[in-house]
Amino acid sequence: MGPDGAPGPAVPWRKVLWEHQPFPDNYVDQRFLEELRRNEGIRQYRYWAVVKEAGFVGQQLSCVAIFITLWIYMEQGLLSPETLLWTSLTCGVLGYGLHQVLMSHAEPCSEPRTYLADLQSTTIFLSFTFGFSPVLKTLTESVSTDTVYAMSAVMLLAHLVSFPYAQPSPPGSLSLNAALFASVCLASRLPGTMHTFAMLSCALLVFALWPCLLQKLRANAPSQFTGACVGVCVGGIGGLGSQSLGGAVLLSLALGCVTLLCPLLLVRLQRHKDNIQGPWDEAEIHEDLSRFLH
Amino acid sequence: MVLKIFFPQCCNRADSGLLVGRWISGHDSAVVLAVIHYPFIPGQVKQYIQQMQAQSGVQLSILGSWSLPREGQEGMESFLRDLSTIFPQEHWLQISRHMGKTGFTCEILNREQTAQQEAQKKHKEQDGADGEDEADDDHEKKVIFVHYEQRKVMLSQLHPMEDEGPDPKTDAPSELRQVFQAVARSQPLFFLDKYDDGPLKSTHWQTEGREASIVVELLKQASVPLCFLIGWLLSLWTWICNIRIFSLYPLRFLSSKLSTCVQLSYRSEHMWTISSPTAATDHMQFMRKANILVSFLVDVALGILLMSWLYRDDHITMLANTLVPAADHVAKELEELLQWLMGAPAGLKMNRALDQVLGRFFLYHIHLWISYIHLMSPFVEGILWYGGLSACLGLTFALSLFSDMVALLTFHIYCFYVYGARLYCLKIYSLSSLWRLFRGKKWNVLRQRVDSCSYDLDQLCIGTLLFTILLFLLPTTALYYLVFTLLRLVVVLFQGVLHLAVDFINSFPLFAMGLRICRSYRLAEGVKFRVLCDEPGTALHLLMEINPLKCSTVVQTYRTPTYSCYPRDSWTALIKKLFVGELIYPWRHKSTKTD
Repeated sequence: MGPDGAPGPAVPWRKVLWEHQPFPDNYVDQRFLEELRRNEGIRQYRYWAVVKEAGFVGQQLSCVAIFITLWIYMEQGLLSPETLLWTSLTCGVLGYGLHQVLMSHAEPCSEPRTYLADLQSTTIFLSFTFGFSPVLKTLTESVSTDTVYAMSAVMLLAHLVSFPYAQPSPPGSLSLNAALFASVCLASRLPGTMHTFAMLSCALLVFALWPCLLQKLRANAPSQFTGACVGVCVGGIGGLGSQSLGGAVLLSLALGCVTLLCPLLLVRLQRHKDNIQGPWDEAEIHEDLSRFLH
Repeated sequence: MVLKIFFPQCCNRADSGLLVGRWISGHDSAVVLAVIHYPFIPGQVKQYIQQMQAQSGVQLSILGSWSLPREGQEGMESFLRDLSTIFPQEHWLQISRHMGKTGFTCEILNREQTAQQEAQKKHKEQDGADGEDEADDDHEKKVIFVHYEQRKVMLSQLHPMEDEGPDPKTDAPSELRQVFQAVARSQPLFFLDKYDDGPLKSTHWQTEGREASIVVELLKQASVPLCFLIGWLLSLWTWICNIRIFSLYPLRFLSSKLSTCVQLSYRSEHMWTISSPTAATDHMQFMRKANILVSFLVDVALGILLMSWLYRDDHITMLANTLVPAADHVAKELEELLQWLMGAPAGLKMNRALDQVLGRFFLYHIHLWISYIHLMSPFVEGILWYGGLSACLGLTFALSLFSDMVALLTFHIYCFYVYGARLYCLKIYSLSSLWRLFRGKKWNVLRQRVDSCSYDLDQLCIGTLLFTILLFLLPTTALYYLVFTLLRLVVVLFQGVLHLAVDFINSFPLFAMGLRICRSYRLAEGVKFRVLCDEPGTALHLLMEINPLKCSTVVQTYRTPTYSCYPRDSWTALIKKLFVGELIYPWRHKSTKTD
């Protein structure tokens, strides 16, 4: 019966080890592996649902691409800082309004998270950046261009990798900080202090405020969320394309991979999944322990 | 069983008589201190012994008899044997020597076996045996004679010295130590010389007459009023120092930092030690007083030598005339250094704006300093002249004053170092805190560990901006900090060398060293034995010679404890402090008294 046991005596074998039984320790009976469960709790992915979720990742990638596009425009002088600044401000106000509307939809009796507090944060940040922008401008003067580009690339990559895709609303520290670091590096290469200030405000908008809005959208209006993702992706490709065709091609390839190819792989590879679960030797207490409670 | 008898060399040719000495308790040995000659009255001998015991505190007793028969003095044997009945002892030694022979013979009589021994001895003599020893029949007792030079052993001090505490040590002192102590304490026994008209005549190392030197006696007489005078002067000085006005905070702080004041207080402590009119009670105190006195005299002599060089041939004017140009030169070098830093030093990436700010700030400081030096230049010669006068108090004072002057002249380097270090320290601290914010963590002060933390949006934004700014400005600050730390370390090293020299002069035990070189038997580490006579049939004769202390042990034992300055931190701690930007004060002063 068991691996190295003779037919046992009349006492039935129990699958416990804390009692001394006349069987050897590695004895098993015919009920071996009866309670094994395979792939319990496995989820059946549906391709298009996964694609929709992966669209978020692609969206973030395109955000970065849009940001870089804006930077390229500023550097080449095609975009003036005042324009960017006013555009960012307008977008910010619009986004804030949308955010408030969505929030009041979701929780009708929300406490007035004071407009004053938000205004205060904005003022602090804007004044701080404005005050320090001369310093920020000359920060990387003595660093070579290649180093700056390399640092920014690494930081943006870190931002993408550590972005909290599941819950973007309280922004993840590392991702936001990496993005801001990269934006400071890039912004310090621009020709004027106003450029730096405009770039930084834009970076704040894109990396800090936009994910909060997206989170609200995803929670309350899923179809609009998908539309927004697609719009951002298209905008990213288009923006890059206007400057460098190669970049656009690369971006579209990356987007295609992330959004279409990887979900396919995920769904396909699910069938090779082989998890086993079973009741391992756990001690179960059958006594009534209430006598220990006085 | 072996019986060791320590026999003084001066008594080798003494006339026959009684042996006075001490049995060493716990060991089978006896030390002979003197020989009392015939004729004597036993009662007077006993009285003398008791008197000596009271005066010296040593357990003296009559050990036995000594016979060196001259012509016409045969037949003393029986007389000598009868003596053992007059002075009843546990053991009675009968040592005899014949002229022309090198060896001694010794017979030991135990009290209860005296009669038996007498019978056996007669038997042996009739047999014509040579005066072989071996008193007892029951157990063979071999005798070893250890000859020692009495004067040297009396003056010598055995190291390592045991502390004379109120409670005695659990294990008794060793045999050698007891021998040395017995000889050293029996000084009253050696006052009886051959010119005394007393009833007893004895032989010891001072029999030929007590020596004394008139100079030493005069010094001893003069030292007491001198001590009183020094003590009075010192009390006056201490009273002045303790006036309330000097206890104000700035003055007190300043006087604890200036090495001249420290040296002054230290020397006055020494003078207190010397000026006590009571004689030194034990060896250690005597050596300390002597060391302090000799060090002080040598110090003053060197100082006066320095003075005579300074005040001759207008050396002071020459020094003063080179001082101001030297300070100018240093300032110019510093300016050039700063100009180099403000450019692109060694190809490093400096932030131009910050560079200019820091550089201009330090340049302005140097400009102030130069103006100050030029203001002081007419007075420099006067200051040097009066400062040189202080060398009469000792070379250590001149060196301390020099060290203080160096500290004052390089004060601007110290200021720059403090500025640079504080800036750098602040930057490093902020950077580490902001780095934690970058990763989304914070320092938990309660648990002393790093915990995760969810920050607000604006905290994150501003924190990242600050982090970026500080990170890019780090090379600039670090470079300034490095340069000024190196300068400061150079100055500190120089001051450290001066302090080490002062410390060396203060603490080196010159007197002990001189004693070790000239009279090496005074400081003994142990003894060595040389065989004098080892013929079979006679007792073994050894000569005990004193092994002097090694020079390194002399220095170690007799070093005067000073406020020695030694490095405060180990190398790793120092480097860590440098890295973090903490201010370093590498030399720590160990003060002898606690405030």
